[in-house]
Amino acid sequence: MDNICTRRDFFKCLSQGLCGLELLSHSAILEKFITPSEAVAKEDTLLKEVKFYKKLADLKIQCEICPKKCEIADLERGYCGNKENRKGSYYSLVYGQSCAAHLDPIEKKPLFHYLPSTTAFSIAAVGCNFECKFCQNWKIAQYRPEQIESIYLPPHEVVSLSKERGCPTIAYTYSEPVVFYEYMYDTSKLAKREGIGSVMISNGYINEAPLIELCKELTGVKIDLKAFSEKFYKDYCSGELKPVLDTLKTLKRIGIWYEIVVLLIPTLNDGDQELTQMCQWIKSELGAEVPVHFSRFHPMYKIINLPSTPIKTLENARNIAKRAGLHYVYIGNVPGHEGESTYCPGCGEVVIKRIGYSILKNAIKAGKCSNCGWIIPGVWGKA
Amino acid sequence: MVKNSAGFDSNHRINQHAVNEMLNNGMLLLTGESLPERTWKSLFKTDDIVGIKVNALGGREIATHTEVVNAIVSGLTRAGIPEQNIIIWDRLTRELESSGYTINTSRKGVKCLGTDTDYDPSPEMVGSIGSCFSSIVSSLCTALINVPVLKDHDLAGVSLSLKSFYGAIHNPNKYHDNHCDPYIADVNSHPYIKDKLRLVICDALTMQYQGGPAYKPQWALDYCGLLLSRDSVAIDRIGAKLIEEKRKEKGLPSLKEAGREPVHIATAGRRGLGVSDIDKIELLSV
Repeated sequence: MDNICTRRDFFKCLSQGLCGLELLSHSAILEKFITPSEAVAKEDTLLKEVKFYKKLADLKIQCEICPKKCEIADLERGYCGNKENRKGSYYSLVYGQSCAAHLDPIEKKPLFHYLPSTTAFSIAAVGCNFECKFCQNWKIAQYRPEQIESIYLPPHEVVSLSKERGCPTIAYTYSEPVVFYEYMYDTSKLAKREGIGSVMISNGYINEAPLIELCKELTGVKIDLKAFSEKFYKDYCSGELKPVLDTLKTLKRIGIWYEIVVLLIPTLNDGDQELTQMCQWIKSELGAEVPVHFSRFHPMYKIINLPSTPIKTLENARNIAKRAGLHYVYIGNVPGHEGESTYCPGCGEVVIKRIGYSILKNAIKAGKCSNCGWIIPGVWGKA
Repeated sequence: MVKNSAGFDSNHRINQHAVNEMLNNGMLLLTGESLPERTWKSLFKTDDIVGIKVNALGGREIATHTEVVNAIVSGLTRAGIPEQNIIIWDRLTRELESSGYTINTSRKGVKCLGTDTDYDPSPEMVGSIGSCFSSIVSSLCTALINVPVLKDHDLAGVSLSLKSFYGAIHNPNKYHDNHCDPYIADVNSHPYIKDKLRLVICDALTMQYQGGPAYKPQWALDYCGLLLSRDSVAIDRIGAKLIEEKRKEKGLPSLKEAGREPVHIATAGRRGLGVSDIDKIELLSV
């Protein structure tokens, strides 16, 4: 029993800031924090009925969370692998089951216009509705719940731990929060009552109705725009571009704060023409104010034959975006690059200087550039 | 194909003795050997680690019956394969237990366990799939016996031998589009399966011709049969034909008309995994 700690140990360590359990499932730390009995205890007793689905004939159901709209027979699961049809009712198998828990800088999400320098209590549950060949967190996103050890962390405990650690925000991240919708929704709702914000770090592949209902409880969203071609989405993500663009338009219409991340993969989605079209679309449909982060790819999962993204490719993308008229364009995963900082579109001054996840300077006062008074959009005060 | 109406007794319990006899007869017919002991020896070496892949998904009523597996284990041990070199397995321990299997992970006796979390650390790419395989298939076993059931499947059309190996990969839910085609053939093309599979014994004591993969008693019946082959594709073609015939008899549309023709069987045939042309399959019945 020497190597096995209880959940109490886990919480104790977390409250002392000793353990950010990054990708808990595959961490050597894991075995310390999960007892076999807990791994078994999560079965069945914690089933949560899915909020958005409809019942069909012969005990089938159709999931209505995401555009895949999986039709699922009794005892089968959808594409995400973490929900199951049991005799005609559809259940989440990951409600309250966190496979990762970490105290992250909000800049890591990345959200650059959202409470800079604060910490987000970040959680994930197993599963994803995409299968990106370059998935950076595939060891939790591309598995099924039984294959990954998780810890029982129900909504009220997530909120309570966030408060205890002084986190103004809970982030649903690492895997794909859309597929643990019920866990995210209930936690966000509870957090809101306690004055804690919630941000979803997502691929944006979600239907409009669940998105709108969810956004009533969220305070921010980050969307991964994987590319600007249907072919890329189909070939490399097993998804579709259009629903993601629809999500972005819905977020704009709702008025919630959101930022966009584009992971640039050499030769696959980094062409000038594609990036130009993407940036022009963002400008015309979403406006110049939405922050766009071009992030550096590193070989992972099924794409291990390509190099990491050259810095000049990221710089080229940033230039294209700026030429398209976007005001806040960042370079990600390149610590120390000037493209990590926020520049005032009015006077050109650095208003937030960043290196990695650290803020060296914040010259935004009451949401404005302290030099020229230009309004910098974002969530700068209480979420 | 071996059929025996004594497969179930008057209390609808499976008759172990009848199942043993059915398997013996089937093995004799399949291998052409004259003695039951020789049948197993002709396919397995005494130092093989034999994985018996069952289908435990649907619960006790429609899972691979333990009596069929008992008969297989008996044949293997009579051929000199030590009990501890035999592994009965499927995807999840939980599903095995709910289908009547007794889990044994000790060093002694026949092992019985689910893969659960024990998948290879990196994905293997085969055709259109990229999956981490069960370490039972990739690392433990030197030979495989696939013991699927005879049932309908909502997406693939049928869940027989080929489909059953979805239980060997970590991400089967990613490969359900397009009636699981060509993904089923891709999984079966991997050397872990293609090169290790020695025998397929389809447990057709029960047939479910509609409503799979879960057990639906209104569409299930006692079929009292076993199908044996060394060819996954041929056995699936025959099994699919039996299901189609029963559907027709019951007034149900064909699988094609129902929008789920089991096209993966022909794809597997084209990949060289076996014979999918029914006219080229020799069906011997006992």
